[in-house]
Amino acid sequence: MRLIRQRGRLLSAMVRPLIWLLVIGSGFGTMMSQYGTDDYQQFLVPGLLCMVLLFGAMLSSLSLVYDKESGVMRMLIIAPFPHYWIILARTISATIAGLFQTILLIVILFALGFLRLPIDIPLFLLGLVVTSIVCASAGTLIAVFSKTLENFAVIMNFVIFPVFFLSGALYPLKNLPTFLKIVTLINPFSYGVDLLKHALLLDMPKSFSAEFSIFQDLLCMVSFCIVALIIACLRFSQATVMENLANLLSTPKHE
Amino acid sequence: MTLAIQTQNLGKKYGNLQAISSLHLEIPEGQFFGLIGPNGSGKTTTIHILSTLIRPTTGTVLVAGHNVVDDPVAVRRKIGLVFQESALDRTLTVEENLQFSGALYGLDHRLIAERSRKLLDLFDLDGKRKAKVATLSGGMRRALDIARGVLHQPRILFLDEPTIGLDIINRRRIWRFMKQLRQELGMTILLTTHYLEEAESCDQVTFLRKGELIGQGRPDVLIRELGAFILEIESDEPEESIRLIQPQLGSPVQEGEKLFFRIPDATFSIGRLQDELQGHIQSFNVRKPDLNDVYIWKNSALEGGNTAC
Repeated sequence: MRLIRQRGRLLSAMVRPLIWLLVIGSGFGTMMSQYGTDDYQQFLVPGLLCMVLLFGAMLSSLSLVYDKESGVMRMLIIAPFPHYWIILARTISATIAGLFQTILLIVILFALGFLRLPIDIPLFLLGLVVTSIVCASAGTLIAVFSKTLENFAVIMNFVIFPVFFLSGALYPLKNLPTFLKIVTLINPFSYGVDLLKHALLLDMPKSFSAEFSIFQDLLCMVSFCIVALIIACLRFSQATVMENLANLLSTPKHE
Repeated sequence: MTLAIQTQNLGKKYGNLQAISSLHLEIPEGQFFGLIGPNGSGKTTTIHILSTLIRPTTGTVLVAGHNVVDDPVAVRRKIGLVFQESALDRTLTVEENLQFSGALYGLDHRLIAERSRKLLDLFDLDGKRKAKVATLSGGMRRALDIARGVLHQPRILFLDEPTIGLDIINRRRIWRFMKQLRQELGMTILLTTHYLEEAESCDQVTFLRKGELIGQGRPDVLIRELGAFILEIESDEPEESIRLIQPQLGSPVQEGEKLFFRIPDATFSIGRLQDELQGHIQSFNVRKPDLNDVYIWKNSALEGGNTAC
């Protein structure tokens, strides 16, 4: 019930990603048509969707760091529910923010003819939701641990881009050197991309199709989310973290 | 008489810094209670502990009958808290802010609308219902913040420096609002302030200094106990003045060239003292004591010397 109210607030912040999405979406559209083989275009679709999920959900949950200093956070920490709810609610709203942007992209891709049937729709939706939760919880985890967003560019460079590039979104994982392959196996995002490949690339040549089993994908992502969220909640409820937050929120700033 | 707030041996340490030590507070329900002290004396820390935002290092704290460590959610349901900084979403309107905040307490949409109408009326914000918070003046925003703090009709309202950063007119308005709130809802209010003249309307005040309680009581009683009048003297040769006055009025509190003496007895002959001091002083002023004086004397007694700062 309270979670719903909070999500409502976030809807207002969605106009910006929408513009962003149109630019990225069309940019990638042309990029995709430049690539030679039709198969590779199709191969990129799951990765592209995941990228938008990643950016949308992760950036949205990372904005928790900004919110630490906002008036809304003051309202939230004195509201009568456990403080870890704030974390969970933020993660859910970030998940939805990511999904919302992705759905827009899907519509665009479909209109442009990049999304080719047949699609395993239930699996596709499941993949989108789970991947979005993964991205959102990863963002929440980072946000809970980082004190300020001065290192925001650092996070962008050292988290989002590697996570994206080392995920099988742009190329199949088999061809990677062993070291990078290990990294991709640790990367929970890889499994999201893979799951969407299961759903979307039903009639692909072997070299481009999914590389893990559906069960493997889901297991890895779900366990990552649970672990990440538990750590984030524990960390957020820790006395020292709350102390810092409380002091931060009570120190008058000159606006 | 039930107690709204009760702390026993409350202490809080940040690393090596003892922010609060062995604080005993007993605040009866319905009281208007002032927590007073300079910056860094532990006022805000105390409020944070009472409102469950931070945990005490030692001692037990009961707020509205619940232990803040064991049952913080129950405590938060019964209290309202207004921070020094506004707890509002600047991008939303006045009404939306109240709706959002009320929803966090699980209040029904219509109930919120009804209560906010009353509160906005009370706080002269009626015409601003659809205005964005960012467009409100500082005084209005503070008033709205207080409205937000009492929307769920808490038993206890915490106000951390409710008038800080406001001009005198807005400060008076905020005080008027608090008075009205107490009349209408009968809640316990605990506030911190360092404008001591404002705290004189409290039922009870507590002075904090470096995390320790250094005095407590009704403002009028504390002032009466201090003395009938305060003698303020400016002098180039403070030593000489002290030598002359001390036998009659006791040790002064010294602030630069200014000396403050307590005149315990209203019948004390001020005229004679003035004659004795002829030629030693630049100014001579006798006035009624106020809470500032109470604080200064309490403070100087603890410093052991005759300086107060």
